[in-house]
Amino acid sequence: MVPYIEGELEAHDVSRIEQHLLDCGWCRELLLRLRAGHQMAQNLPHFMPGAPHQPQLEALMAVAAPSAPMHHERAPLWEGWLGRVSTPRMVTALAVLVLIQATFLLVSNRGYVFGKRSGAAIKLSALDLKEFRQLSIPELKSNTQPHVATDGFVRDVHTDEEEGTVAFKLVDSEHSSGSFVVCEIMNPIHMPAPAEGSHVRVYGVARYDAQTDRKWNEVNPVLNISVLKR
Amino acid sequence: MYNANVSGAMNNQTNEREKPTAVRLAEGGRSRITDREQERELVQAVQRGTLGASHEIYEAYREQIFNLSLYMIGDASQAQDVVQTVFLKVFRGLARFRFQSSLRTWIYRIAHNECQDYHRRQRISHVPLEAILGSSDEIDTKPNSDALHGRRERELIIQQAVMQLPLKMREVIVLKYVEGFSYEEMGKVLRCSAGTVASRLNRALVELEERLRPFRRVL
Repeated sequence: MVPYIEGELEAHDVSRIEQHLLDCGWCRELLLRLRAGHQMAQNLPHFMPGAPHQPQLEALMAVAAPSAPMHHERAPLWEGWLGRVSTPRMVTALAVLVLIQATFLLVSNRGYVFGKRSGAAIKLSALDLKEFRQLSIPELKSNTQPHVATDGFVRDVHTDEEEGTVAFKLVDSEHSSGSFVVCEIMNPIHMPAPAEGSHVRVYGVARYDAQTDRKWNEVNPVLNISVLKR
Repeated sequence: MYNANVSGAMNNQTNEREKPTAVRLAEGGRSRITDREQERELVQAVQRGTLGASHEIYEAYREQIFNLSLYMIGDASQAQDVVQTVFLKVFRGLARFRFQSSLRTWIYRIAHNECQDYHRRQRISHVPLEAILGSSDEIDTKPNSDALHGRRERELIIQQAVMQLPLKMREVIVLKYVEGFSYEEMGKVLRCSAGTVASRLNRALVELEERLRPFRRVL
């Protein structure tokens, strides 16, 4: 919603959001609060540090010499592939889609529970499965449709309780490291994390992460998971 | 603001055979390294042992890292210490820096980790906003003699409200609204997806609005 508030979305995304706002009082209220928070946050002051203590500064500079590498960067729970971002256009599209998809399903299916101060939790009771294009994981590479369903085996499940996100790999083959797709369940959509090794069908929004060290397909956000076989 | 005195002192130590890359000054006098090629040149100069290059990196990011640290920690003196620690790690690590990420992302990531470590060590507890500022009625009755005083008071209120946010929410607010990061850049620093950043920012703004609602009359 922040890109919408800042006027950074393209015309067709703006139109979709505004059409949705006509019908959704919850989103209108959310928008008002976000807009107020956004306006206040724009007034955050910027501070100037004091002049550096010269001997300390010189000591810092003197340290700039080849030495043993420091592992000051924490290794993420998943090395390498977890949690990377997409292109800016995908970022704004994702932000729009998360809100519209979740609230569209909320309005059309009437299956939701509102939380309090911490925000709304959304329970998805039914989906129109005809919306989702059934594809294999390798076929996702050439996919152009936004809503996909794909089958695979669950690997590397990672849950972030504080963020309310669950991420996992869906691999093509149970016994070999073949094609995979990264799947992410995020707020405000909640569902149990799939069991490691389970054979599932994942429904969600198809994306591609084009970052240099990533270049993988994603289903993000995940909108539903059905277990095929344990 | 670029500190000419410090720069002058450091330039005296510059290796005459290898002049450091010139520092670009953005509007307002704050140095910025905005180009990946410029980053690469500076890092390579540091790796060759050029003290002037180290100083340019320090001056380019010191203010930004200080702001992030100040908002994350809440104390200017401690924030200065964190800045020093961050740059100690930066300069130690530059010898092996391989541009798997941008220099900016890497430095901010170090600062992010350092602030998190600080909180784990200190176990800082937060004071309610009203205890710091008084109630909104008390603020209303304070003398408000000029526009500048009013603006500073509003900034203080908003700043303190942000300082009350949970760390993860606070960080995305600061990175976006103080440091000007995009969603993509925040995701790289925080090692999470753009969607997570967007979700976190939305929740942070709603939380901020709720905390500041009692003070809306003066904002």
